[in-house]
Parts: sequence; C-alpha cells; structure tokens
Amino acid sequence: MTGAAASWLLRKMWILAAVGVLVLILAWWVFRPEKLWVNQKVDEPAPFASSSDPQPLYTGLLTGKAHPTSGRASIYQAPDGKRNLRLTDFATSNGPDVHVLLAQSTDQNLTKEFVKGELDSVELGSLKANQGDQNYDLPDSVDLGKYDDVVIYCERFHAVFGVAKLERF
Amino acid sequence: MVREIKLALAFAAIVAVIGLQSSSYAQEGGKQSKTLETGTFHGKVHQTSGRATIYQEPDGKLILRLTNFKTSNGPDVHVILVALKDADDDANFLKTNTERVELGKLKGNEGDQNYTIPSGTDLSKFQAVSIYCERFDANFGAAPLQKF
Repeated sequence: MTGAAASWLLRKMWILAAVGVLVLILAWWVFRPEKLWVNQKVDEPAPFASSSDPQPLYTGLLTGKAHPTSGRASIYQAPDGKRNLRLTDFATSNGPDVHVLLAQSTDQNLTKEFVKGELDSVELGSLKANQGDQNYDLPDSVDLGKYDDVVIYCERFHAVFGVAKLERF
Repeated sequence: MVREIKLALAFAAIVAVIGLQSSSYAQEGGKQSKTLETGTFHGKVHQTSGRATIYQEPDGKLILRLTNFKTSNGPDVHVILVALKDADDDANFLKTNTERVELGKLKGNEGDQNYTIPSGTDLSKFQAVSIYCERFDANFGAAPLQKF
C-alpha cells in the first residue's frame, strides 16, 4: 500500500468518525434518553396563601345506580382536624329512609343496584335533601383509606341510589 | 355644646370601629381564590397520574395547578389545554388540528406545580389538560376537567 492511499484511508476514517459523533449528538438531543432515568421534581406552593378555611382532601363525582344521581362529593378538613363531607351540584331522586354512607369501593355490593344483606359502611346521617349543597360531619375515627366511596343509600329497600369514588384532591 | 361634641365624637368612633371591622372582613373574604374545576390524569403514551385543578384568584387570574403529579420525563414536554372533553384519542389526537392553549413547558415531571392560563381563555370550550411532547406530537397523559 502506498503512503498516499494509507493517508486517504486514514482521513476517510476520521471523517466517518466525525460524522458518527455528530449523528450520535443529534440523536441524543432528539431523544434525550437519559431523561428516562433522570427525574425533575418541583414543589411549588398553592397559588393562594395558606387559609384558615377547611381544605379539600378528597373529591369524586357521583354516578347513579338504582336512581339517576349526580353531583360532586368532597371531603374537607378544618384546621382543627374536623372533617366533613360536602355534596355540591347534588341531585338524586327523593325516596324513603335515604342515608349518606361511606363504604369500601372494593365492596361487590356496590356494583349492583340493590344490596343483599348488610353493607359494611359508616353512617353519616339521613339525606338532608334530594337536591342542593349539603354538609355531613365525619366521625373522627373513620379511615378514608378504607372507606373511600360515598354512597346515597335507601335503607328500606337496600337500594344504592348513587356512588362517588373519592380520590385525593 | 361640648357634651354634644363629645357624644358625636364617641358615636363617630363607634361607627369607625364597626366600619373598619366590616371592611377588613370583606377584604379577607375577597382574598380567597376559588376552585373552579378539577380532574385526574390518565396516562396515554406514558404513565401519568395526579390531579389538575383550575383556581381563580381574587383578581380574576386563572391558575392551573397540578398536584400529586407524576409523568415520565421527556424532551420538549408542554402543558396545554385542548378543546375537547377529554384527550382520550391516541397519541396523535393533536394532528386533527384540535384547538389548544399553550400554558408553558412542563416544569417538572414530578411534584406540585402552577401554570398561568392566558386571560380570555374560554374554560367551557377547553375542557381537558394534556401533557404533550411537542417534538414527537405525543400525548403523555390527559385530565378531563369537571366543575368542582
């Protein structure tokens, strides 16, 4: 092999290597694969000053079962730790002996319109009205990690009027 | 005469105190920001979870706040509002020229964060939040918003 040919080959290799590096840089810039492992965490404060008003902990939308039921169910916590359930934009059908309960979303009873036997639940009181915004106190001991469904329930006929799954606010 | 002036002064003082109290109370009420809408994220191209909530500040400014938020990191990821009930279509829902409002680059792929919504944005039209990778036209995840 002559010297000229060898140096030409060497130069070609250098050009190839340079192009390869450029392609790699471009591919990195486009895909940024390291971002699959690198997390970017932020923790901005809420856009309002900390308030002495009750803050929402959980919320969910009501869906009708045995009767059309709609609105939002939210759990609020006051600064003193007291929690309550608030129903807003609420509407269901009127009925006899209708109660507001907390139950477990995993309970198979709640997939049906009527419950056979007893529903494992926490009683919050008789439904105050079948329409409108309303509040119910929560017992201090109730575990919302376990009882994560709000149920509008007719005790007399064991009918599930509506259910709302509570999700963290 | 002096007695009348004293009485008038006392009366004025009482009115002033009551007036001050009511005005400071009103101010406190006015400082509250209102929660307008909320919804939870569902992942599309990438796992995405958390909550999106729109607040209205006392001066009328709209803020989108993400809480308990988590998605995967990626290049050129943005937060947008889309003129849909939910961005439930596949990754390329944006190729259909769906109207959108840009809220800015995603500040972090984890954690609580706020974005200012341009004034004049019609929330009855833009009903879903999307975490959107502009480079690949991919919908990482979306949250349909409902009235709070």
